[in-house]
Amino acid sequence: MRLLEVSNLRTTFRTEDGIVTAVNGLSFGLDAGETLGIVGESGSGKSVTALSIMRLLARNATVTSERIAFEGENLPDKSEAEMRKIRGYKIAMIFQDPMTSLNPVLTIGEQIAEAVRLHLGAGKSEARDRAIEMLRKVRIPLPERRLGDYPHQFSGGMRQRVMIAIALSCNPALLIADEPTTALDVTIQAQVLELMNDLQRETGAAIVLITHDLGVVAEFCKNVLVMYGGNLVEYGTAEQIFSRPRMPYTQGLLSSLPRLDEREHRRLVPIKGQPPNLLRLPPGCAFAPRCAYRMPICDEPVPLYDFGEGHVARCWLYDERAREQRPESQQSLPTVAHT
Amino acid sequence: MTNGALVEAKELYKYFPIYAGLTSRHVADVRAVDGVSFAIEEGETLGLVGESGSGKTTVGRLLLRLLPATKGDVRFENQDVLAMDRGEIRRLRRSMQIIFQDPFASLNPRMTVGEIIGEPLRIHGLASGRDVDERVRELLKLVGLQPYHANRYPHEFSGGQRQRVGVARALAVSPKFIVCDEPVSALDVSIQAQVINLLEDLQARFRLTYLFIAHDLSVVRHISTRVAVMYVGKIVELADRDALYENPLHPYTQALLSAIPIPDPLLEKRRKRIVLTGDIPSPVNPPSGCRFHTRCPVAFARCSVEEPPLREYAPGHFAACHWVEEHGGQAPQLT
Repeated sequence: MRLLEVSNLRTTFRTEDGIVTAVNGLSFGLDAGETLGIVGESGSGKSVTALSIMRLLARNATVTSERIAFEGENLPDKSEAEMRKIRGYKIAMIFQDPMTSLNPVLTIGEQIAEAVRLHLGAGKSEARDRAIEMLRKVRIPLPERRLGDYPHQFSGGMRQRVMIAIALSCNPALLIADEPTTALDVTIQAQVLELMNDLQRETGAAIVLITHDLGVVAEFCKNVLVMYGGNLVEYGTAEQIFSRPRMPYTQGLLSSLPRLDEREHRRLVPIKGQPPNLLRLPPGCAFAPRCAYRMPICDEPVPLYDFGEGHVARCWLYDERAREQRPESQQSLPTVAHT
Repeated sequence: MTNGALVEAKELYKYFPIYAGLTSRHVADVRAVDGVSFAIEEGETLGLVGESGSGKTTVGRLLLRLLPATKGDVRFENQDVLAMDRGEIRRLRRSMQIIFQDPFASLNPRMTVGEIIGEPLRIHGLASGRDVDERVRELLKLVGLQPYHANRYPHEFSGGQRQRVGVARALAVSPKFIVCDEPVSALDVSIQAQVINLLEDLQARFRLTYLFIAHDLSVVRHISTRVAVMYVGKIVELADRDALYENPLHPYTQALLSAIPIPDPLLEKRRKRIVLTGDIPSPVNPPSGCRFHTRCPVAFARCSVEEPPLREYAPGHFAACHWVEEHGGQAPQLT
């Protein structure tokens, strides 16, 4: 049994302009202790996916799915009271901006203790001890003294470490980290990533890391899910995604990125055009309007092609039926079976 | 430093006073820029990198005199920028422009794109009437937008397109020098590359000189000729692009470079990371001596007492570090 199994997740929002499709039929899963990176640009649906699983979306959202199984139980079947027992306990979440996700009028000691008392039923002094232990774990100096401080008395990097302390205080099986280091400076980002790595080894929690930074994914994640237009376009191990990307969007992302180890000046190859309009997602490939290899068949719904060893991509280029339509430059591509 | 520099800053300081209490007593200063010197030659791109609070954005504004300097000297084509009167500074702005980070906040939402790009033309008397519209259309095409976009408002554009409008506005007066202040940080990667390529093309075509301020060291390596690294108000290292990235002398530069993840998992597995302890110090009360000594893995007694000067250790390669000085210009081995 996998720790989390999401199948055919669809999330839409009613807005003044119409129905926005943020997640469009997404299926994926992860095992206990795994690190999965979800990458994509703004509007690709990565954060909404997390919020849909946690049932934290506003009233104008409609979430449907075949199944969102966590430890074998279907989360959409749970009552709100049952969900509250899962959130922050079995599944914890940390957000991009630690300043807005911490309560400014409670001390950080109270905020860590709150989770511990609620979920683990700890008493006051026990919760305090746990809070000190957690602050020590996230390497906050003088934890006994800092317990009584308020969020504004901490720097950005420290606040994110406090968030991690709260998230891990009840030993969750799954930690969803949504752009946890995006607001931090690079030397502080390195500290936080190292800390998350160490704590994961210690606690065995699975981590879903949502980010737009491909470098962070390469450093941190075992498996990678690339999202575009609300759906998975490619999935595989980090090695597969970065050394043999199959989907033209993944390839485009990698070649549009300047690299720190770039010795010769190489002209960047941008992806032309703009991300898709979520009010009117096309029935076929959402990336087709920007794709250099666009074929007539791309206007039809795209199956997922299996490249072996778990590597899959959603692209018509690899289909037997598209052989004649392929552009000259892509003639030598293999054709593979779809799943 | 160098002769024939287009822009030169010498011993530049900017302190922002902090007032407190009922009598608004002057209690302290934010020492945003604390004695910075460098020169930018015509046609080159000087990258200026640093983390939050390093003072890089303030340096850009001081050069353009968008902020008054506390003391120091700024020269543009050998003219004393800080001594200029209002009329002179206005004329100077025809030669010096800026592109801002946030394409949402830096465009007036009540003006059409045509009005935004046309405004500098009218203010500087470079065009009037029909000529303005004609020039606006030309500028829009130059930055990869369409002439009909002139009638639209900023909110009708995506982030990348808005940044193109910001570039067109800066180019309107045909400047020689542009301060690019984090021009691609707010953009998605696929769009970021479009704007970087545009800036490179425009530089080649009009022989522009850039000060490129960014915290993303990969982007800075890509676009810069030389790079300066700032830490809490000071330049700690300044060198040609490749020298800085391949052979960084200052321990802070080394740590900064090693902290950037490279999108290549096989390479990442082999890389050793220098993880600095502690936070970036506050520019209100910077550490004594070398500002980096509180986080430096090779700091010794002298570092907390004496401030290291920026010295040249190889042609064009400057660093401010006692360790490097005492080891004959060698970089410390930190991994």
